[in-house]
Amino acid sequence: MLHYWLEFEESIGKVWDKYLNRKVHKFHEEQRVHFTDISKSLNIFHHLMGGEKGKDLQVTDKRYVDTSRTALQKLSFLGKEFFLTWQDDDSIYLPASFAYFPTKEENEMLYYWLIAMSVHTNVTDKNLIEQNQKAMHYLTNKYSGFEKFYFNASEYLISKYEQLGFIKSLDEKTDEDLINDYPNPMWIYPSALTINAANNLNESDEDLTREEDKDESDVLEMKKQANQIDDKHETDGFLAFLPESLMSIFEQVNVDRMEDDTFDENALYHAEDLDEITIGQKQANLSSRIKMDFDLQPDKTLMYPIGKGHYIDEWDYLKNDYLINYVRILPQVNTNIIPIELPSRLKKTVRKIQAELDLLKLDRIKNDNLPYGDEINIDSWIEYSSHQNKSMHHQKFYTTFEKKTRDMATLILADVSLSTESGITQEVRIIDVIKDSLIVFSEALEKLQDKFAIYTFSSLQNKKVYFTIIKNFKNKYDDLIRGRIDSIKPEYYTRMGAAIRESAKILDKQQSANKLLLIISDGKPNDEDRYDGRYGIEDTKKAIQEVKKKGITPFCITVDLDAKEYLSYLFGRDGFAVVRDGQKLPKVLTEVYINLTK
Amino acid sequence: MSKTYYLAQSNEVELFKAAAEMDLPVLIKGPTGCGKTRFIEAMGEELGRDVYTVVCHDDLSAADLVGRHLIDENGTYWQDGPLTKAVRNGGICYLDEIIEARKDTTVVLHSLADYRRVLPIDRTGEVIQAHPDFMLVVSYNPGYQNVLKGMKPSTKQRFISLTFNYPKAEIEKEVLLKESDVDDATAQKLVDIAGEIRQLTDTDIQEAVSTRLLIYAGKLISKGFDPYQACMHSIVESLSDEEDVLEVLEKLISLHFEKNSNV
Repeated sequence: MLHYWLEFEESIGKVWDKYLNRKVHKFHEEQRVHFTDISKSLNIFHHLMGGEKGKDLQVTDKRYVDTSRTALQKLSFLGKEFFLTWQDDDSIYLPASFAYFPTKEENEMLYYWLIAMSVHTNVTDKNLIEQNQKAMHYLTNKYSGFEKFYFNASEYLISKYEQLGFIKSLDEKTDEDLINDYPNPMWIYPSALTINAANNLNESDEDLTREEDKDESDVLEMKKQANQIDDKHETDGFLAFLPESLMSIFEQVNVDRMEDDTFDENALYHAEDLDEITIGQKQANLSSRIKMDFDLQPDKTLMYPIGKGHYIDEWDYLKNDYLINYVRILPQVNTNIIPIELPSRLKKTVRKIQAELDLLKLDRIKNDNLPYGDEINIDSWIEYSSHQNKSMHHQKFYTTFEKKTRDMATLILADVSLSTESGITQEVRIIDVIKDSLIVFSEALEKLQDKFAIYTFSSLQNKKVYFTIIKNFKNKYDDLIRGRIDSIKPEYYTRMGAAIRESAKILDKQQSANKLLLIISDGKPNDEDRYDGRYGIEDTKKAIQEVKKKGITPFCITVDLDAKEYLSYLFGRDGFAVVRDGQKLPKVLTEVYINLTK
Repeated sequence: MSKTYYLAQSNEVELFKAAAEMDLPVLIKGPTGCGKTRFIEAMGEELGRDVYTVVCHDDLSAADLVGRHLIDENGTYWQDGPLTKAVRNGGICYLDEIIEARKDTTVVLHSLADYRRVLPIDRTGEVIQAHPDFMLVVSYNPGYQNVLKGMKPSTKQRFISLTFNYPKAEIEKEVLLKESDVDDATAQKLVDIAGEIRQLTDTDIQEAVSTRLLIYAGKLISKGFDPYQACMHSIVESLSDEEDVLEVLEKLISLHFEKNSNV
């Protein structure tokens, strides 16, 4: 009996909820368009409109806006929070989804509109109206498609939200309060940070207005109050306790890493429980949250430094100039190596790839004027026939095709940062696949008799960029090299620009006519310091440009599936390959190489 | 015959004429469809010289350039190749896409491309001194990516280099108006579209829309074809095969030209 009663109550609740939503939301849920579904297209569109290619597109968090709400809106806790579109130096932030308009096309179009707007505006809280109006006029004048969309859309919005009436009769005299009353979804807004700084907003006020807990949340981002903090200063987040005490906690807690790694649902679950999610300016990089120098355990492998290291430049996109001798490169070699033979698990792959190589007629060289050969060269034969005194003339009119080794020098640069320790499957880590790839690839190049070298890199800020020699161009590929490959261990971070510059220097000294720099990586360039996000990307981009200038062809192979956006920016559309199934890396690497040099 | 239409982008006409006068060979770099071939044709007419065009490919042998023995009923006879013809009679020998030819083939050009201006023919033992009106012009597109395809520095460094790019918006618009008879507003839109698409070069598409494609689109439109459809077929479809890129390009076209739902 009770069971029925409960069910009845629940369905009443649902009806009430539905009623409220329809009355207040005015959204067209069935026509909702999600950012994630079209983010790729939006990114390309952003480039089309002339936006800076280094910028990212991201989902924005919720913004708190004081609006005049109807009684019903207050009742359902709606209408106070908004997803506004804004941008900073790194990214454009867009709402996660739109459902303002009755058709999918229009909701989608709103995204495209906002992207175009963002390229043509530079909004601060002072020039909000002016900038947006200017961009709007520019776009509607230039694009008939946007013109039609904008006028239909603004008509529609005004008819649904009377507070937006100001859009229609907008000029400099328009009352600012009116505009701040209800944000226009078709505008670009200044970043929350600049507003906060300008208005000196009292943070505690905001806390008081926090809303009550809600029972259930179907879509997570709809219900959270967001807060943005300025955590760009390095001093923030200082841990005021002795590291030793933290160590002792570590010792007591049994951390099941495999469990911890299934983070997705957990994060969502915890997020649902929170009232407020604070989003920082920094991009996810755990290392920068807790900074500690642990004493590393003595390792069995012995890295032998080659020289004291040397300094190279780094590109700072903010200054638009090089930081001279900013990064210290520490070349090293592992001296404590047990030579190994080709591991039996790889024998099959190696044999298969070598068989494929046999079939390739790589760069056939034609040899004319031979006394015997594959086919008659008609030119030589005619020449012979045209000769006055045939008996005196040599009878060399055959042609053969011969396989020749190519004049190729390839440097393989492998990223062995700590992130490569993460798993592709339960048993296989990325680093394992990289090691296997290096071995298989070396076998293939050995077979082709192409010159190659292998280096790995990892970094600890600009002070230490470890550049480990696995095989230089002079080393013979043998069991010792295989042992070195096998001894590779993941460590530290990915300062990619520095490693690329160092590799280019080495390749530049090679005499070969064709030089290839193959980069194997598992993610974006990043390091503990500010070498993260756009700074790292721009420096790497610069390094790539330098490489190209030296007549070296760079190519990147990555196992990072979300990599496409930044990779095409770094390497150009045809300058990289994404390996979807990490375990196929050994095979793909060789295939890519053959395709590049065919 | 009417004169070949060519609108100068910057100083290339003067430079070419000066090079022709001083017997200097010219190398033209530039993306596809930016007017390299048209430029040579126009210059040939301007200078009153014949243009011998050879499109290079990777099986092109030195004999294809220089000439070879052929057979007829009287036995064998020597047939000049295009290069030899130009060297003997004067004229512009234009080797298009020289990068495609094997490097050992292009070595025959070396003695022609420096102060000697002679072409030795091994087969007949002849050494031809180039006609005063002979001029060597080669072109290539630096956009293709293959490690093994590049010009030998020793070949490259024998030429005066001219870098072509897609023309500036105003010039491109004028070219469009002249070549395709579209109205002013449409030409402006096509040029705008091209300008936007060219910002994708290297990151999202391999090579951007060429002036040639714009002219195609313009021609279709002036023939009364629906502008949206014309752009889709002449510009968008030929640029990429990738779904997401096509989708965005389609969006861009529809922003400029309204999509007619009944087509």
